[in-house]
Amino acid sequence: MTKKIVQKVVIFIIILISIVSLLNPIFIVKTDHRGKLIEGLYNHTGDAYDVILMGSSHMNGGIDPNVLWHQYGITSFNYATAGQPIDVTYYLLKEVLKKHKNPIVVVDVYYLCLTNKYGEEGYIRYVIDSMKPSINKLNAIMNCTPFMDLPYYLFPILKYHNRWPELTKNDFRYDSAYKYYAKGFEAGTNKYGKDNISDLTATGTAELPPKSLEYLNKFIELSKKEGFKLIFTNMPNDFNSIAGKDGWVKDPAKMLNQVAEIAKANNIPFIDYGSKMDEIGFNFKEDMNNSGHVNIWGANKVTNDLGKFLKENYNLVDHRNDPKYAQWNSDYMRSQIASLSK
Amino acid sequence: MSFTSMEFMIFFPIVSILYYLIPHKRRWIWLLIASYYFYMSWNPKYAILMGTSTIITYLSGLLIEKADKISDKKQAVRLKKWWVFLSFFSNLAILFLFKYYNFFGNVFTRIFSYFHVTIHVPSLDLLLPVGISFYTFQALSYTVDVYRKDIKAEKNLGKYALFVSFFPQLVAGPIEKSKDLLYQFDEEHFFDYNKVKNGLLLMLWGLFQKMVVSDRLAKVVDTVYNAPNKYKGFAIVIATILFAFQIYCDFSAYSDIARGAAEVMGFRLSKNFDAPYLSKSTKEFWRRWHITLGAWFKDYLYIPLGGNRCSKPRYYFNTMVVFIVSGLWHGAAANFVIWGTLHGIYRVTGEMLKPVKKSVIKKLKININTFSHKLFQVLITFILVDFAWIFFRANSFTDATTLIKNMFYFNPWIFTDGTIYKLGLSHKEFFIAMLGLFIVMLKDILGRRINFRIAFSKQSIVFRWFVYFSAIVFIMIFGIYGHGYEAKQFIYFQF
Repeated sequence: MTKKIVQKVVIFIIILISIVSLLNPIFIVKTDHRGKLIEGLYNHTGDAYDVILMGSSHMNGGIDPNVLWHQYGITSFNYATAGQPIDVTYYLLKEVLKKHKNPIVVVDVYYLCLTNKYGEEGYIRYVIDSMKPSINKLNAIMNCTPFMDLPYYLFPILKYHNRWPELTKNDFRYDSAYKYYAKGFEAGTNKYGKDNISDLTATGTAELPPKSLEYLNKFIELSKKEGFKLIFTNMPNDFNSIAGKDGWVKDPAKMLNQVAEIAKANNIPFIDYGSKMDEIGFNFKEDMNNSGHVNIWGANKVTNDLGKFLKENYNLVDHRNDPKYAQWNSDYMRSQIASLSK
Repeated sequence: MSFTSMEFMIFFPIVSILYYLIPHKRRWIWLLIASYYFYMSWNPKYAILMGTSTIITYLSGLLIEKADKISDKKQAVRLKKWWVFLSFFSNLAILFLFKYYNFFGNVFTRIFSYFHVTIHVPSLDLLLPVGISFYTFQALSYTVDVYRKDIKAEKNLGKYALFVSFFPQLVAGPIEKSKDLLYQFDEEHFFDYNKVKNGLLLMLWGLFQKMVVSDRLAKVVDTVYNAPNKYKGFAIVIATILFAFQIYCDFSAYSDIARGAAEVMGFRLSKNFDAPYLSKSTKEFWRRWHITLGAWFKDYLYIPLGGNRCSKPRYYFNTMVVFIVSGLWHGAAANFVIWGTLHGIYRVTGEMLKPVKKSVIKKLKININTFSHKLFQVLITFILVDFAWIFFRANSFTDATTLIKNMFYFNPWIFTDGTIYKLGLSHKEFFIAMLGLFIVMLKDILGRRINFRIAFSKQSIVFRWFVYFSAIVFIMIFGIYGHGYEAKQFIYFQF
């Protein structure tokens, strides 16, 4: 009798979870970030990326895979999303590595500056809600979100249920492929028009927030364990937009000096574009979209430099003439940068 | 932790599963721990108050029983009465201090200022302990039950403490009399699949009433009642009608979840609501609304006052006292007193006009058995009850009078020009609210003839499971809960 009841309860729970799992994706808000992560994580596993780009909005609008392709024949995908906290980036990277073996991993370190224990829920959800059920997803939820929010991340319908009056056909039949040609990149087309007022010549170091340090070390350990090449970057930005603000470190420039030292000690390249602006001809007024993000022209300059660095330091095959990658050429033609130069 | 919180969704399965795994003799300990944990999740300090009330009433039971053994009967009665008085006095003193002190302080200050005498009553900054009115009444019922020899005094302090703190009905009832609940803690409850299933079904129904209907209606009610000067005519009428259903669904939901949760663990709690808005008189309404509170007042206040076995004026006086006290029980504010008084007036006037009503029916040859007559009675009762609700819900007496004044304005265009959908619910949300309301009322109407749970259990498993899944998914989608999705959380301003 007891066995029968237990069986019944188990079957009931399984059916219920299955129904809820079918409903979850309908209710999750459909953002460009969701679309690109689904494509990059699950739908384009055939594209073996030479390089994968990880980080927050700085990286999202900073390195353009279409430029890397067009100029150097490097295949890459930009997994960065707005406000992506560094701990979330770590679990996302682990999920990416399940399908893409041994790429060069470029991680933007800007979000190491965050002192809050957890990032903003909306930003975290861009990533976690786009991940399929997996150990990585569970770990991301357990480590990157408050414990009491667990059910809301496991069953996103509990979070998004009040979207029901605004559901459209797109929610039921979501096409995540519509922007795959951009390979996860999107930059603004503003021109900031102001100079950088933060001190770029700051010397000395400042401690990393404990969680940032923990995850920086986790990236390094993971690269050693999995045997992939790791590169850290920092995009040009005016630190004054965050320095000393609630939830951010007091002195980002000094903290990044500390990151540079840790990277050096571990033999990991750290490219700080904040201090390389003159070298790459980066004009803060013209090449920034706002105080924190490069624009499409700035991204072009930064990407070209990164491409050069990759080409010179790593053994990367130029795929441009490989017929297997013909689609990458037409994708480039649709890209932001190509349409601007038309 | 409220019944609709995620905490309770985790708390309850753990408590009930362990309840059945623990040997029968020790289960009360587990339930007592769980109940105090449940209560302390609001504010741990409150537990001290509940503990104090528990100890006082527990001792009162033992002392009353001891006094009863005294051979001098007169002295025994005197002593017993003394213990009852002491128990009531100390419990009501705690209740007064935490719930009514400031209210009466203000009342006295106002009365004196009327005569140009300034007095200063220091106000106390005390947070009202959750459920204090409920558990105090439940504990007091024990003192009286022992005094009346309806039950024997409970020797086990732990079990008695569980009676006062039993978590399903602790913070909002049903208020159980000790003679109905206390003995159940000695019963051995075996895991009964059907009982558990029925209990869960009742809880699910409660969640539907609360999350889909009540909390949705609250949006309209809050919009209008929090800005009484902004709205007129039908906007106020609609909000007032919806409040009647909001409070019904809210309260009835709480009772159903309480009864369901208790049933899962094999306990039987009393029914607290029985289709109150189908009542044909306010007298009937009070037999169907918050039944356990009504029964408490009847047993422990109305009858001791003399009930209706006395002169007419005395009967009217008793009725008024009970309703005014009942108003005060609901909250320490003039609004609640007025609400209670109104119900008292309804009852007394109803009694006084009985002969007039009879002669009118006779003269006009009205057939009182027709549907139309019954419907008329139901509507009149609803209007009277709903009118009183205005005082119950309004934020102050001034607000209530403003609402009543502004109500008399003929603006039927709000139904056609879309204004009705600007009262806190969009047209889609409004539709769900009405659908929910329809289901609740249908259940009340049909529930008089059909026992849904029995009828439902006779259906095939495919049908039953289909209903379960549909109900859960419906509540999940259309329930009002959680932080919800806000577009602004997801809008990225950088580009």
